[in-house]
Amino acid sequence: MNLPGIEYLSLGLGIVLFLAGLWGIIHQKNIIKIIISFSVLDTSIHLILVSIGYMRNRTAPIIDSAVSKTDAASQVVDPLPQALVLTAIVIGVGITALMLTYALKLFNEKGTLEIDKFKSLKW
Amino acid sequence: MELATKTGFVLLGLFIILNWGLIMAGIIRKIIARASMRRGISVFQPYINLIKNYSIRSQLTHGVMFYLGPVFRLSGGVGIFLFMPLIHDSEIWSNFSFAGDLILIAYFMFFGMLGMALGAGEGGHPYSAIGISRGLAQFTAIEVPLTLAILSIAFQYNTLSISEIVARQQGGILNWTLFTNPLATIAAMISFLGAMGHAPFNVVMAPQENPIGPPTEYHGTFLGVLQTNRAILHVIESVLFMNLFFGGASNWFELIVKTFFIYFWSVFVGMVFPRFRVDQSIPWLLKIPVLIGILSIVFILL
Amino acid sequence: MVNPVFIIVVLLGAGFLLGLFRKTGISLARVAGLLALAFPLYVSVGWMLHFIGQTAQPYVVYTAGTVPPFSINLRMGPDEAFLTAAINMLGFFGFIYLFRLFKSQGVSTIILYLVLFMGLNVIVMTRDIFNLFVFLEIASIALIGLVLVNKGIDALSAGFKYLIAVSVISSILLVGIGFIYYYSGTLNIDGFIENNSLVMKGLSTAVFLVLVAVVLELKAFPANGWALDVYQSAHPGISALISAGTATASLFVLYKLLPFGGHLWLQVAAVIGLVTFVGSNMLGIAQKNANRLLGYSSVGQIGLLVAVIGFSDDLGSHLRMIFFGLFISHFLSKAGLFWLSGMAGEEEISKWSVLRKKPALLLIFGMFVFSLIGFPPFPSFYGKWQLVMDLSGNGQILWIALILLGTMFEGVYLFRWLGFAIKHEVDESKAPDTAAEKMIPAGAFALLLLGASWVSNAYFPGAMKTSFLPLYFILFLFLIDFLPLVIKNTLSILSLGYYGWRLYPSIQDDTLRLVFAGIFLIGGMLTLFAGYSEKGKRPGFYPFALMMYAGLIGLVEADNLFGFFFAWELMTMGSYILIIRGKKSLVHAYNYMLFSLGGALLILFGIALTVAGQPDISLSMLASPAYPGWAYALLAVGFLTKTAALGLHIWLPGAHAEAESDVSPMVSGILLKAGAFGLVILFLAMGGGEAGRHPLLYALGWLGALTALGGNLMAVFQEDAKRLLAYSSVGNLGYILFAFSFMTHIGWLTGLTYSINHFLFKTLLFLAIGGVVMRVKTHNMYEMGGLIKRMPWSFIAVLVGIITLAGIPPLSGFAGKWLFYNAVIAKGWFLQGALVFFAGTIAFLYCFKLIYSVFLGQEKDRFRKVKEAPVWYIIPQFILIVGIMIFSARPEIVLKPIGALLSQAAFFPSEPLAWENVTAYTNLGYWSGFNIMLVIGAMFVVLLGWLLLMSRKAQKVKQFNIVYAGEAPFTPETTHFSHNMFAPYNKALGFLIHPVATQFWLGVNNTFHALAESARKIYSGNGQSYIIHIVAYIVVVYLILS
Repeated sequence: MNLPGIEYLSLGLGIVLFLAGLWGIIHQKNIIKIIISFSVLDTSIHLILVSIGYMRNRTAPIIDSAVSKTDAASQVVDPLPQALVLTAIVIGVGITALMLTYALKLFNEKGTLEIDKFKSLKW
Repeated sequence: MELATKTGFVLLGLFIILNWGLIMAGIIRKIIARASMRRGISVFQPYINLIKNYSIRSQLTHGVMFYLGPVFRLSGGVGIFLFMPLIHDSEIWSNFSFAGDLILIAYFMFFGMLGMALGAGEGGHPYSAIGISRGLAQFTAIEVPLTLAILSIAFQYNTLSISEIVARQQGGILNWTLFTNPLATIAAMISFLGAMGHAPFNVVMAPQENPIGPPTEYHGTFLGVLQTNRAILHVIESVLFMNLFFGGASNWFELIVKTFFIYFWSVFVGMVFPRFRVDQSIPWLLKIPVLIGILSIVFILL
Repeated sequence: MVNPVFIIVVLLGAGFLLGLFRKTGISLARVAGLLALAFPLYVSVGWMLHFIGQTAQPYVVYTAGTVPPFSINLRMGPDEAFLTAAINMLGFFGFIYLFRLFKSQGVSTIILYLVLFMGLNVIVMTRDIFNLFVFLEIASIALIGLVLVNKGIDALSAGFKYLIAVSVISSILLVGIGFIYYYSGTLNIDGFIENNSLVMKGLSTAVFLVLVAVVLELKAFPANGWALDVYQSAHPGISALISAGTATASLFVLYKLLPFGGHLWLQVAAVIGLVTFVGSNMLGIAQKNANRLLGYSSVGQIGLLVAVIGFSDDLGSHLRMIFFGLFISHFLSKAGLFWLSGMAGEEEISKWSVLRKKPALLLIFGMFVFSLIGFPPFPSFYGKWQLVMDLSGNGQILWIALILLGTMFEGVYLFRWLGFAIKHEVDESKAPDTAAEKMIPAGAFALLLLGASWVSNAYFPGAMKTSFLPLYFILFLFLIDFLPLVIKNTLSILSLGYYGWRLYPSIQDDTLRLVFAGIFLIGGMLTLFAGYSEKGKRPGFYPFALMMYAGLIGLVEADNLFGFFFAWELMTMGSYILIIRGKKSLVHAYNYMLFSLGGALLILFGIALTVAGQPDISLSMLASPAYPGWAYALLAVGFLTKTAALGLHIWLPGAHAEAESDVSPMVSGILLKAGAFGLVILFLAMGGGEAGRHPLLYALGWLGALTALGGNLMAVFQEDAKRLLAYSSVGNLGYILFAFSFMTHIGWLTGLTYSINHFLFKTLLFLAIGGVVMRVKTHNMYEMGGLIKRMPWSFIAVLVGIITLAGIPPLSGFAGKWLFYNAVIAKGWFLQGALVFFAGTIAFLYCFKLIYSVFLGQEKDRFRKVKEAPVWYIIPQFILIVGIMIFSARPEIVLKPIGALLSQAAFFPSEPLAWENVTAYTNLGYWSGFNIMLVIGAMFVVLLGWLLLMSRKAQKVKQFNIVYAGEAPFTPETTHFSHNMFAPYNKALGFLIHPVATQFWLGVNNTFHALAESARKIYSGNGQSYIIHIVAYIVVVYLILS
């Protein structure tokens, strides 16, 4: 079977999503949509990180009956990227929450969510 | 030489110069009158004027500086005389020329001008200030060809000492600066025209020709002092040019003849030409005469 | 030492605990927060002290009980200790600044604040790259949360843009970190640097992503619009944290991570940093909003620091020193300025004049501004000096040029701002907010800045030490500024005298220095003397006057280039403040400062090209510069800005004319000699003989001649008496330049004679005219007239002054003219010489105009009751007159030793001027000042006696008793011939003084402003464009690198 490995698939998907998210941030005018685009971007990074840590034909880095302590090093994938992703998700949530807070306050101030309307500061 | 003797000779020289200045003024005025088809005044009229002015009793002054103006003026004229060597190779007639050289004389000329300007200024008559402003303005331009000429001959003779310059011109008429450095002479003689106050550079004097203005403010003794100065100054400035360009003088007779002709040059030109306004004379002086002056330096450098 | 991990523990713990206080009251929470912030300050300062003076090993905290790469470790080394100390200092004082704000904001804001500083501390200390990312994010979130304390749409939208931008940047950072781990298998910074190189293509891309993200975090120009908006709209207390705090942490991140990229990335950082420094400062010149301007400045300064890190390899062991100098100045000043901004409460920079109501604030503001530009004694001065020296040692000339250019741009807007604060009109209804909680942080940072200056002086390498004694005295004068004027003035005069007495033994054999020291010190005492006539306390005058004199005397005293430049800048700073004190001096002082700054930067450049990184920086290095042509040219032009050579003169007339009455003589008669002294030092180093034919000198000779002509010609057409004198100074300095560029023995004698004369007569004239102006309250000469009767003493002073100026025998001006002729003929510079003599005769015109229009002619009705100038003005004038008389009669007292000195080996060995008793001889001519004086004096007395005898009955008449064609003149006004006195001259030669230079500089000014105005349009205010900038920036940098 010569299909590309799952890690390449997810890496590719990650990159596509990354670009899509970036495009959304730049292109969308609605602040909520921008925040969603950011979430897409954020998720894409998680995907990329996980795919980086993946090693073919290995199992999840959980030491239980299937994986013994002694063999762990040769049987599981690298656990670190997954740990990183966990942290990144937390941070991502934090940032998204803050963004949404801002969005709410912006809407309260001006009654609109068009980002083009918030250009009072410039030059 | 003792100071007393020296002073005696200096005073004698001053006396001769003053008298020659007065007589020359008379002669010149006579010549001008005749050239203008007039009979003219007596040759001794300047003496008469002088005596009259010194004996006028009513005298008015506008203030201290007004009073000092003529003193400055006469000091200027006498000062130039004092620092000028008159007769070549004669210690008696070299005055106080040991104190300074050509540059001293060139700058001491301003002493009298400045004092007079201030004195007349305090008189408060606007015409005085107009005349002075014209005079100073034109003077800046007159100085330029003269400066170039002085630089030229100073470089030529490698000295700034007037006695030395005279000494270097001895030994025949062809040794005169007039022939060894004709361009410098021409430049300087154009400046001379300006300095002597005849046409075409005498618009400076115009306010004085009116019945009002400085001559009426400065009357009586003051005017006498100024006339004394003018007589001395005309001769002594001619002496300067004689020393620099025309071989100096080895005796009084030579001095009298040469100064007459040098002074007459300005009268002669003045008879022929009309007046420049100041804003015309300045550009004129800064063109051809300056060019001549520069050429004289180039000429010497080559 | 306390384990640094407790910093995290305490801040985080306090943050959590404060959550519990939410109900019980904000007051307690605020105190708790402050205490919590005091703890890390205590810890990091403790570590800093621990590391000072010993080479202790960095302390490493291992977490999770294992060593890296299997755990996260924190390091507390000297760098970390210093930076966390700085950050925690900011945290502590920043908290105080916001103390009142917290009350209205509630506990959550305090928590955010604590979290922010925890984040910043960890960012500095951590050695794990993912941990770094996490805490960058935490700090960002906390910060953006804090931005919300400012209500209103501006702060909100700015915060949102900031948030989006930071998120995108950190996404890129995270991807980069992921790939770094993928390729290298470690997240530990030290481990990575040890074991990896960039040979792998993939790895270099990963490193690229990480580093470019860090650079963008540091607000690389031009992808930094998002940060500017926040700087502008956030509460100033928060902006201070961004500018000083997060930037500090991010800078250290760059420093930690830059080794990933190897040598290539050092260069990239240098380029990016300098582009940011120059670009951001250039755009700043069109900015009028104070906080946004501070933003531009912050971005620029951080760019410079990035560049310094990029120069690591070139700077070697000096890196830390330079970084310290530049960093600490930026850190303290920028935080301080943002705080001041909050206290001023004004957005428009022109309205900062409100600070004047609280002079202490103005003083602090000035300190911060000067320290940002890099004036002594502030640390940035040391840093910039060493940076420039080291760069030139490595041949990085272009970089130096960019650094100086950026500094110039920065000066353009910072000095405009400072000028507004000092001089712009005040809105009476407003006052700065001087609540204690705001004064304390600003004051503390100002003091820290002074402390850092002291540290710089104490710990920078040996040759860069200067005597701080004058500075202490200046500080003392600041402290006693509340005392009456008499005490301060007396102390100042005495101090100058004491300094001269102290200095004399060390320079008594060096006549050149003695002459200039005499001009500076005696001149200083005389001009200060006039100050006794001032009423009130004259606040802020004496420290700066003394600063100028300290600088001037420092020039003479300096035995190395650093000391010279230090003194030069000190003098510039003091004189700028003196000049700006004039009523209408705002714009003139600004011009002065810009030209001075430009000149100083050129001098610095010139010195750098001279020294080129060698350890020896003694003045003798000038004799053999590394790049002789450029070094000499730059130094010469630099000094010429101070002597106001034609083309660089446009600042002078306004600055000198509009200054206060006793300041004008200081800056015109005395200060200008600093430039002359600089030229003396420079020319001496160029050596005699051979150097005399240096093309530069030939050019300078012509420039001097043209300056003499131009300056004098412009003076002729002035109606303002002080402006006339100012233009006359331009002309006279032209003579001096001309004479010095002869590079002959007699030329130098001429130059020095002129310098002494110009000091004597210009100080005299400015004092006299200043005294008159004080009485008549106008500068316009045509409004005066006839004042000789009211002010006879001033008249005498002016008379003596103009006779000296015009060079009329017997006064000493003639000595200069006589030497001049000799020098010109000996040198053979006839054409230039004739030009200068022409200029000399033009001087008569304005001399006459000055004395006639003011003192002679018609007296005006409204001045019939004016009094003589204050006696405190008259006394120094007559001391100067005595000086002129002595110098006129016995010039050999001064000229003989100078001649002897010039003949000494190195300078001009031939001695063409011989003295025989009182007569001077050259091989051209001779002159005897004493005899001339004698002859003229005797003659004058005799003739005066003669006239007195003849006209003893002269009768004094009234003013209008003049012969006026039978009419009485109308009024004095119509009879006083003064206005436009030399109209015909203007008609004839006016075309020569077409204001070419003014138009040129105006053009330069307009061009840069227009450029900045249009270039800053890229900061469109649209959050998405900012993201596009970021993406485009990444792409462009990537393309350039590959």
